[in-house]
Amino acid sequence: MYTQADKRCDLPSLVAHVREGDCVAIGGGLSWREPMAALRELVRQQIKGLKLVGSAHGIDVDLLCGAGAVAVSAESYVGFEQDFGMAPNYRRACESGAVEVRDSCCYTLVQQLRAAIAGLPFMPIRSVRGTGFMHIDPDYKTMLCPFTGEELVLVPALEPDVAILHAHYGDAHGNLHIEGPPVADILFAKASKKVIATVEKLVPPEQLTEVGVTIPYFYVTALAEVAYGAHPTACYPFYAYDRRHTAEYYRVASDGGEPFRDLYLQPYVYGCPSHAEYLEAIGGAEALDRLASWKEGSRPWMDLYA
Amino acid sequence: MRDRSTPITCTFGEVMIYQITRTIEDRIVAFHGFGSPLVQLALHLAKKTHAPDLVLVAGATYGVNPTPPFLAPTTNDWVMNRGAECNLDIEELFDLAASGRVGRMFLSGLQIDRWGNMNVTRVGREQLQLKLPGGGGGCNLSCDVQHVTIWTAAHRTAPDPKGRRRFRLVEGCDFITSVGHRTAEGKTRFEMRYRGKGPDSLVTELGVFDFDDSGHARLAGIYPDVDVAEVRENTGFEFPVREDLSLVPLPTPEMVEFIRALDPLRIHERELRPEERARSFALA
Repeated sequence: MYTQADKRCDLPSLVAHVREGDCVAIGGGLSWREPMAALRELVRQQIKGLKLVGSAHGIDVDLLCGAGAVAVSAESYVGFEQDFGMAPNYRRACESGAVEVRDSCCYTLVQQLRAAIAGLPFMPIRSVRGTGFMHIDPDYKTMLCPFTGEELVLVPALEPDVAILHAHYGDAHGNLHIEGPPVADILFAKASKKVIATVEKLVPPEQLTEVGVTIPYFYVTALAEVAYGAHPTACYPFYAYDRRHTAEYYRVASDGGEPFRDLYLQPYVYGCPSHAEYLEAIGGAEALDRLASWKEGSRPWMDLYA
Repeated sequence: MRDRSTPITCTFGEVMIYQITRTIEDRIVAFHGFGSPLVQLALHLAKKTHAPDLVLVAGATYGVNPTPPFLAPTTNDWVMNRGAECNLDIEELFDLAASGRVGRMFLSGLQIDRWGNMNVTRVGREQLQLKLPGGGGGCNLSCDVQHVTIWTAAHRTAPDPKGRRRFRLVEGCDFITSVGHRTAEGKTRFEMRYRGKGPDSLVTELGVFDFDDSGHARLAGIYPDVDVAEVRENTGFEFPVREDLSLVPLPTPEMVEFIRALDPLRIHERELRPEERARSFALA
């Protein structure tokens, strides 16, 4: 339980809660509300050997793999969908053996988190039997149900060391408000030992109560105000997905590990010691205003993706 | 009299979307995952035409019955959640499936075998040759949902210089991400006591298969510009052909207009190779 009255800190102090070798759950999903500023800071602090757990992810996991921060991946999907295709850094890291592949599935993950949340050693599921996943994780057990006699799979409780989230609003106490799909963020927050969050805006507690608390403060270890903290993924209603920047990322990452280091990590991560410098590097106010233009209607929204 | 704007031809993508639409029943919960614009469009087309009471659950956002103004290039975008009546969360959707209340799901694979087992996890059995993106919730859902539509727009395989083909429809999967009608050990779904009944259609850019009583893929329909020999040539296993094998029906001009209006950025064509995009069909 995290009960202190004021949990606000800056981005470097926030990310320093992550330790080498931690099991990390990253919030958001695909092109939506990934805690990218925190992940870039994690890369700058050279925190490595992470075990990642999650459902459907993309540039977040790919960036960490490209920076050599990941030891094990237990994600259920890592890619750029039909938009760009397979995740280049993730693929290279898995295929070279740098990252140990321990793929999971969405419901398996959900049940493992629920076991942790309820303080149970495992949860049963009917699925997974007959798939290759039974051989990936030696911790999955089977049993005959004492009530029905059917065979069930028991998946062990999963308690990540730290969940890294990006929310819309937070208050000093650590209450968080998320608008739109929460993906697995709420489950991650309740199951993890520590929760660190960046928020678009810190607001007074009464304002947060008014919009509604998605994640209660006592789960949250620390938080930092980082506007545009999900860029280049979307954090509606503030900004849409930056497809243009993602295309540049993808092109450079597809060219290989070295080009990715020199032409992406250097200019956008290592070369930007602060988030403000990153926002300048990606094009400053002009680029950010463009991402808010989705509000003007379907046409400008579509133009962002044309 | 036909309005001048009414389409007189349609593209292959539009024909394939319609084949997927035809597998969707009314008054069920149907869910699409991510990275599947052909399926997204098929569900919206079904709801617009023969399945108005479909409970359409969008992948990634878990929005129910959304009315997106246009198809976005990624699935978890607010565009795709516009007009949703309500939103489920991740555990709710999977609980609905586990308790037998999701009627249909759509799954694909880089490798698909005769029983509908699929691999989107890895190529290479012992040594990892190619890490694929992974299956999301496909593993769980393939066991739990009532019915599965399988689709792929990459059935066609070009031979390499030595004449060998790297089939999409394969003799055996390197890894089983999602289950079809028989496990690698030969156990049936009945023996496995899965909640769902498994895949009942496999829609590709060459033909449409159903599954016979033994759970084996069986060619049921082909496109007007494809013959059975071409399907066989591109398939890594022998398959039976229905006696009443027919040409697949084409969408109506109104359906084609609906698809074009919903996907002005032609996002669904990113699932199609250039040669499939070039196919064209005359509408009746």
